[in-house]
Amino acid sequence: MADIELRNVRKAFINFVALEDLNLRIEDGEFVALLGPSGCGKSTTLRMLAGLEFPTDGEIRIGGKVVNDVAPGKRDIAMVFQSYALYPHMTVAQNIAYPLKKRGVDKAERDRKVERAAALLHLEPLLSRKPKQLSGGQQQRVALGRALVREPEVFLLDEPLSNLDAKLRSYMRIELIELHRQLGKTMVYVTHDQLEAMTMAHRIAVMNGGKLQQFDTPDAIYNRPANLFVADFIGTPSMNLMEGSLSGSNFTVGGQSVTIDRSRLKPETTDGAAVLGVRPEDIMLGDGTIDAVVELVENTGHEKIVALAVKGCDRILARAPSGSAITVGEAVKIGFDQTKTHLFEKDGEGRRLNLDQDHNSLP
Amino acid sequence: MPNRPNQTTLERQYARLGILLIAPTVVVFSAVIVYPLLAAIYLSLFSIYTPTLQGEFVGIDNYVKLLSGKLFWQSLGVTLTWTVGTLTLQVIFGVAMALLLNRSFWFRSLARSLVLFPYFLSTVVAVLVWRWLFNDLYGALNHILMRVGVIDMPLDWLGSMPNAMIGIILVGAWKYFPFVVIAVLARLQTIPEHLYEAAKIDGAGPIARFFDVTLPQLRSVLTVIILLRAIWDFKEFDLIYLLTGGGPVTSTQTLALLVYKEAFSLNQMGQAAAYAVAMMLVMLVFMVVYIRRTGTKET
Repeated sequence: MADIELRNVRKAFINFVALEDLNLRIEDGEFVALLGPSGCGKSTTLRMLAGLEFPTDGEIRIGGKVVNDVAPGKRDIAMVFQSYALYPHMTVAQNIAYPLKKRGVDKAERDRKVERAAALLHLEPLLSRKPKQLSGGQQQRVALGRALVREPEVFLLDEPLSNLDAKLRSYMRIELIELHRQLGKTMVYVTHDQLEAMTMAHRIAVMNGGKLQQFDTPDAIYNRPANLFVADFIGTPSMNLMEGSLSGSNFTVGGQSVTIDRSRLKPETTDGAAVLGVRPEDIMLGDGTIDAVVELVENTGHEKIVALAVKGCDRILARAPSGSAITVGEAVKIGFDQTKTHLFEKDGEGRRLNLDQDHNSLP
Repeated sequence: MPNRPNQTTLERQYARLGILLIAPTVVVFSAVIVYPLLAAIYLSLFSIYTPTLQGEFVGIDNYVKLLSGKLFWQSLGVTLTWTVGTLTLQVIFGVAMALLLNRSFWFRSLARSLVLFPYFLSTVVAVLVWRWLFNDLYGALNHILMRVGVIDMPLDWLGSMPNAMIGIILVGAWKYFPFVVIAVLARLQTIPEHLYEAAKIDGAGPIARFFDVTLPQLRSVLTVIILLRAIWDFKEFDLIYLLTGGGPVTSTQTLALLVYKEAFSLNQMGQAAAYAVAMMLVMLVFMVVYIRRTGTKET
């Protein structure tokens, strides 16, 4: 059993607070991504799980045991670093065998395990090379090998793919998912790349400014963002956010009004200033009541991203099929898919005002 | 300058500029290194009286005397003992101090500059101070050792063996270990922190981290330090000459001191030149290793 629990964890450095009151429960065998912009506290969280940093307050439990004061080598964890941190003077085989050697595993057993890890990661032909003679992707696999040879209960991965090129990254994503499926161990994966988090993780912890914003499945994070930060951070292009005011079933933005399904909002929602969020794919071009002018069309190949100028709000982005005939300067009417709009508080934490059950019922 | 047919005009101009820029160095180098070197070899073939610099050609007689006599071999032994002894201490103290200064603590930058003090101190000043400390009548060293109870009677530090050898080795180590500190500290600061973190997670304790992460990273810099310092210590003159004068008798007479004594006390410039050339040949071994080491590092 290797579930992970962080209870009221706080981490303060001399001149700033990296984490505030973090509560997180990761189940045994789960693949969790810690996602957020740089400086959000995700790496600090991971380093505390590894034992490389110690919490100022709170409790960290791995497999039910409090590990606050347990040295990194004594926790049943392995970590893959962004820079891979391979020992430069050791061969691939020696690198992979190192954690076993430090734990007093005998030579024959070590060789057997290194061989198995090498086979799993297709490293056999490289075993006698030094890290310097390897490509980034190969070094990455050696780092993974060094982590998994010990068969730890928990894997900690600190942006392991960020130094790879785009093609290799998408390949390694699939490899990692496959690896997790085979090993069935708990994995905590730090990334600032939402694509990695969305495609690989069972659940994503979105963090910002040292605070946990939302901890949920990729589907929930995308379709039911808990607040304005998550709504804005997740999705490429990101969600269109329009400041306006809510009055009954009408939301007014820049003098134009859209109808809102009030039954989808929390009962305590009051009229007044609010933020309406619509994903680019939920904007209906040529079907609605709002006047817009096409400012720019980006053709990505499989679709077109259309930038629209709408009076009284920032530029709005919409997705259109690649074959659609849209020209720059064209005036269009746009509308929003009623069942997929999001409403947030304008002030405070920008909390979501929609009821949570919507989208669950959607096919 | 070779005028290769496939060279462009611009390349030829650059080549010409390169030769022009390097020329002054070559001239100075020839005047102060190549000429004295050739002159020494030339002198070593004569029997020369130093004050007049007159004498007759004796061929390789000086070398025959050198190889068959005891003096050269004894001095070579002394030189090697001194070099190995002081160099070992320099490296051990230097690495230990660098490791210490690489940790963060209060007044670290002050400590870092203080450590360099012996290296910057003039040898004459340093030796005078040490001679006071070593003095058998009123020296602080004997006083402290007697107070602590290590010895009952004052020791004759510089006038008897093996104390004199221990003395010069210690002072040499004290004087030159800062060089090791500077070089090692500079390298230590470039070792990525992630390596230590990875080692911690892999279960390596502090000692294992030193041997498995730090030491391998220091290897290249230590090779250079050891070779350079070996060359410098091998030909050390002033420190030993001022501290013991080669004594008692010839117990601490290194090759450099032997050359000096032969040339200026015994006025045998030709024989002295022969000793100097022999000394140079021994140092050539270090030089070749050094050049090979630093040369292969590029590839």
